[in-house]
Amino acid sequence: MSRSGWEQLLVVVVVTAVVAPLLGRYLAATFRGERAPGDRVFLPVERLIFRLAGVDPENSWTWRSYALAVLAFGVVSTLFLYVLLRLQGVLPGNPTHAPGMPSLLSFNTAVSFITGTNWQAYSGETQASYLAQMVGLVVAQFTAAAVGLSVALAVIRGIAGKALTIGNFWADLIRSLVRVFVPLSVLSALVMVSQGVVQNLTGFQTASTLAGGTQSIPGGPVASMEAIKLLGSNGGSFYGAGGAHPFENPTGFTNMFDLLVVIVLPLAIAFMFGRLIDKRRQGHAIVAVMAIIFLSHTVLSMQAEVHGNHFLPAHVAQMVSADSPGGNMEGKEVRFGPAGSALMTVGTMGTTAGATDSALDSYTPIGGAGSFAGILLGEVSPGGDGGGLDSMLIFALLAVFVAGLMVGRTPEFLGKKIQGPQMKLIIAYVLTIPIVTLVLGSISVVLPAGKRSILNPGFHGLSEVMYAFASAANNNGSAFAGLTANTAWYNTMLGVAMLIGRFIPIILALAIAGSLAGARVHAQTRATLDTTGPTFVVFLLGVIVIVGGLIYLPMLILGPIGERIVG
Amino acid sequence: MVHRLITSIILLVLLTVVLGIGYPLVVTGISALAFDHQANGSLVYRHGRLVGSSLLGQSFSDAAGNPLPGYFQDRPSDAGSGYDGASSGASNLGPSNPLLIGFVAGTNTVGLDGRRSATNPFATAADPACVPTDPKGDPVTSPLGDQRYARTPAGSYVCDPNTIPERAITYRAFNGLGSNAMVPIDAVTASGSGLDPDISVANALDQATRVARARHLPADEVVALVRRTQTGPQLGFLGEATVNVLTLNLALDGLR
Repeated sequence: MSRSGWEQLLVVVVVTAVVAPLLGRYLAATFRGERAPGDRVFLPVERLIFRLAGVDPENSWTWRSYALAVLAFGVVSTLFLYVLLRLQGVLPGNPTHAPGMPSLLSFNTAVSFITGTNWQAYSGETQASYLAQMVGLVVAQFTAAAVGLSVALAVIRGIAGKALTIGNFWADLIRSLVRVFVPLSVLSALVMVSQGVVQNLTGFQTASTLAGGTQSIPGGPVASMEAIKLLGSNGGSFYGAGGAHPFENPTGFTNMFDLLVVIVLPLAIAFMFGRLIDKRRQGHAIVAVMAIIFLSHTVLSMQAEVHGNHFLPAHVAQMVSADSPGGNMEGKEVRFGPAGSALMTVGTMGTTAGATDSALDSYTPIGGAGSFAGILLGEVSPGGDGGGLDSMLIFALLAVFVAGLMVGRTPEFLGKKIQGPQMKLIIAYVLTIPIVTLVLGSISVVLPAGKRSILNPGFHGLSEVMYAFASAANNNGSAFAGLTANTAWYNTMLGVAMLIGRFIPIILALAIAGSLAGARVHAQTRATLDTTGPTFVVFLLGVIVIVGGLIYLPMLILGPIGERIVG
Repeated sequence: MVHRLITSIILLVLLTVVLGIGYPLVVTGISALAFDHQANGSLVYRHGRLVGSSLLGQSFSDAAGNPLPGYFQDRPSDAGSGYDGASSGASNLGPSNPLLIGFVAGTNTVGLDGRRSATNPFATAADPACVPTDPKGDPVTSPLGDQRYARTPAGSYVCDPNTIPERAITYRAFNGLGSNAMVPIDAVTASGSGLDPDISVANALDQATRVARARHLPADEVVALVRRTQTGPQLGFLGEATVNVLTLNLALDGLR
């Protein structure tokens, strides 16, 4: 890889290693339920909202009540967003004259943003009004992120706590917004604007170009959306080209800043977990697994992209030099180069953001496989805001159970026994997303309605379709964008995949937490399996790779691996 | 369940007002006060006229679409018909797609019947990777039995001009480079946004001689201008060294 690639990666690691634990400390203090930093400012705001909505934040619920509240909020938000998108053409705040979205596209888009997927079958410049983006999509990006963090808090309370109840969803939701997402979004947005991300309410302006032609220069409240898009691990961009657009991601600095904004919070949530259960080493073990997976698939892709496209003739210069970025530059911006592009794009694939600064469809087979890996391993590197921790904890429960069987010890995690009822839920959790991805993807490559949308021939075409369903079911939202996704088939089926991929795992995670809530906590003895040391870290990695990797292996052979070997 | 739905509705209305209207307007307001230039798109004016944005690439071709030799040229673009600010986007062509890399013998080549073939039957002397076009100019990647092709007066196939090998041929001819000269990768590939404002330094230097000749300037002067315009990487390591094409061309217009 190029020197600047290694340097950028090193800076990402160092900055994250400093900021994530600090933020984790703040989060733990905020959600411990006692006096929290910033109470003087935040508490009055929270109290006002609770009073207006008639919510008693002290009332703690069972997992069933918690799950029902999450679902109720999901239903209401989806309906509201659907209606807004249908009507955007006749509503104010539409300087670019975007017409109302057709019904299936509205369904797909509403589901996509409420589930935090941010799969975009529409093009931002022309098909979404400023009002719809601000009042609909941005609000959905905030709430999707806050729901994720809230569920993680409930899961932690269930898995580690002594009470039978797991918290109050309304209180968690509002607290995460008021104390985490809104303040951090305002700060991030202003940093972005200072670098050149646009933030205005004007429509297109017409410039007279030097060559004597004209060019439409877009505008819009971009930075405010960009901030929560990344901070909330959402990924949905204002413009069609997403993070490759110079108005969203104008400099090498914003490119790295964007990546950091995506990955720091999920890691901080893992640190917060360690503090909340008063066992910080447990948090560190989980962070270690997240970091190892993140580095593996990101470095793999960076190497492949800097190495370049081996199908090209030798006289096209792909070597890195002081005067040329080299590498596979199709679909990439010169200011980022292949290393910076792969770092940012593939770095966000282990989260639910799937924010890209380059065209994934044009990645080399191995570069693209790196981003596939981030998604297929269940998005735990470091995962979405909250969702990453949920998945990691469930993999940890699975690992404890498997390890217990292997060495003949009672499987325990944090002193609680893992038994039959939990294992059934855990297996359902682990299998839900692969089943959705593989079944719907397979149907799509057989039916004419699915095949018609494929752009690239052969192995790569299969990758396009399977990637779309993996991305939707995992709520990632990135795309091999050659696939024509705005069709009745894909709008419907990807919408279904997103809904199942979001809400079934949430319900199962809450159910697992509920089944462990109030369970007896056994004292740690010498016979207890240590879940914080390097042995457990390696074992957990193995479980994740085997479960995630093997399920998808046939598909990967027919897709990216076949393309690399056969061409 | 009903009371949960009602609470959801109340909260959603509150959040929509605060997050959907309040938040973007606050950010817009602070941005307008602190970073007015950036927030409005880093617009560039010349003699009071808006000529573009320093962050967006623009086309330096004449009305017929021919690149102007007196201006440095951006990268190929897939935003609309090229550098369309209302239609950002990439080619999304896969790394082995013949529309991107041409027909590479043994990899993706097909015979006249559309079946896989070890050699490229459409190869021309200039372009062994030639992808043929039909009489309408559309590239043909899987021909049928009765396929008709566009031909040059000399009888060889007319190749799709948008593959990387063809772009390399065009680039060399346009810039007066030797037929085997290395071509910078960014000069023959389209960017992710279709609006990339930059080219690599190598690409700018390869174009300098042509620009100097078209403007009757000493080549040294244009090369020096490229080196003065070159920026980055930011802080020495963030991203890559770039040359902003609009800035460079404005400076070029300012020379005489």
